[in-house]
Amino acid sequence: MSQLDYKHYRNHEHSAKSILEVRGLSVSFDNQEVLKDVSFDVDEGEIMAIIGPNGAGKSVLFRALMNLISYDGGIKWRADVQIGYVPQKLFEKAELPLTVKEFFILKSKNLFFKDKRLVESIFHELKSVGLKPDILNQQLINLSRGQFQRVLIAWAILGHPNVLLFDEPTAGIDVAGEGSVYNLLHKLQNERGMTVLIISHDLNIVYRYADKVLCLNKEGLCFGEPKKTLTSEQIERLYGESAFYRHAH
Amino acid sequence: MPIDLFLPNQFLIVLLSSLFAALAASFLGAFIVVKRMALVGDILSHVALPGIGLALLVNIDPIYGAAAFLLLAAFGTWFIEKKTALPPDAVIGTFFTATLALGVLLVPNQELFESMFGNLFAIRFYDAVVIVIASVAIFVLTLILSRRLILSIAAPDLAKSIGAKPDNSYLCFLLLFALSVALGIKLIGSALMGALTILPAVSARNLSWSFKSFLSFSVILGVLMTGSGIIIARVFDFPPGPSVVLTGILFFIISLLFKKS
Repeated sequence: MSQLDYKHYRNHEHSAKSILEVRGLSVSFDNQEVLKDVSFDVDEGEIMAIIGPNGAGKSVLFRALMNLISYDGGIKWRADVQIGYVPQKLFEKAELPLTVKEFFILKSKNLFFKDKRLVESIFHELKSVGLKPDILNQQLINLSRGQFQRVLIAWAILGHPNVLLFDEPTAGIDVAGEGSVYNLLHKLQNERGMTVLIISHDLNIVYRYADKVLCLNKEGLCFGEPKKTLTSEQIERLYGESAFYRHAH
Repeated sequence: MPIDLFLPNQFLIVLLSSLFAALAASFLGAFIVVKRMALVGDILSHVALPGIGLALLVNIDPIYGAAAFLLLAAFGTWFIEKKTALPPDAVIGTFFTATLALGVLLVPNQELFESMFGNLFAIRFYDAVVIVIASVAIFVLTLILSRRLILSIAAPDLAKSIGAKPDNSYLCFLLLFALSVALGIKLIGSALMGALTILPAVSARNLSWSFKSFLSFSVILGVLMTGSGIIIARVFDFPPGPSVVLTGILFFIISLLFKKS
């Protein structure tokens, strides 16, 4: 099925292709509501962007989706879902002398013995994120930000999950590098049919790559296709009046 | 008894049990250092004092009293840290002040000194067997736990995302560490036990290029510093605890020369 046919098919068979349904999701920490009554759907193979100001609960949403924290409301993943997760960062300071290879091996289900299949797939995943095998012996702390980002993505897609949760770093990836990371995510979506949920800070990226967008500021303020949903009033409502953004058509 | 051929005298008993205790302590110490709990290890070792006091009062081997209190403190630390999100050093510090006060009340003077600075030459053959077996068990369990532990330290959320339970690995780790400290107290005492966990790891950190090399160096240096420290103590008739620690410090200074800045 070509990509176009697929999109067509998907539009008609909406419910059959749904991979995630969230209904009335609320999360509170110490009686403070961090997420309030958020609802949305994600279809298989879509890229959904989540945008919102700092402290809007975007990362909290991810943690709830991965079932790492308690929440109220409904999160329903399709039964066969396997999630790969790309965090914003790992440890704060460089205390661990981990090499890239060692970092990958930590994902092994084997606690102690060598995991041959895992080691083979490491090479495969490195290639698919555009890294050379000689990076394996470097220490994580010596990687550039761009390389590190790719290593995190390769780690997440190791073992071929069908959903990727990508928490984009707020700063630090240069524009050229950023473009290519998004191309990479797009490629994963195309080639593997992965569903990608991405927390993004860059509206340009959202317009270019996302099939759907969820605007979040504790509650879900808007949800839908970026070009229809992200009107300038909506953006102003989301980020406040200081937000300045012009969408070039 | 054929085993007497291998352990002909007190000195060998002391040397062997110290080397095995160092094996376990320096391996765990590597994780202690990367988790930034170096001082926690130091403080935790003092928690043993009231256990030692109580054990002496009811006339059982102090090592069991120490182990019981340490395990309790490790579990308590884990539990309070989980409940309150207070940092581990603050929680253990609270335990420490409480137990030090109790310890001074409960432990007779001479015994107090011994439990803080150890008395290697009071080790009997039976103690040595317990120490060797327990140390090997701790070492193996830590080895099995190490992948999960590293991931839990580096990125707790990533660990959870693949279905690991960082909380449980951390608890196992604390309990193993408490046990290893209990073993060391008998040998070099609570005051110097912290050194046996931290020193090999910090020196190893300066030499290492990967986590594997870091762990290996930590264990090798721990065993080396203990072995040579005890032999030096024997030759020059020094107290063994301080001799081991000062050898470790010397290793640390040498490791600084290898550190690429």
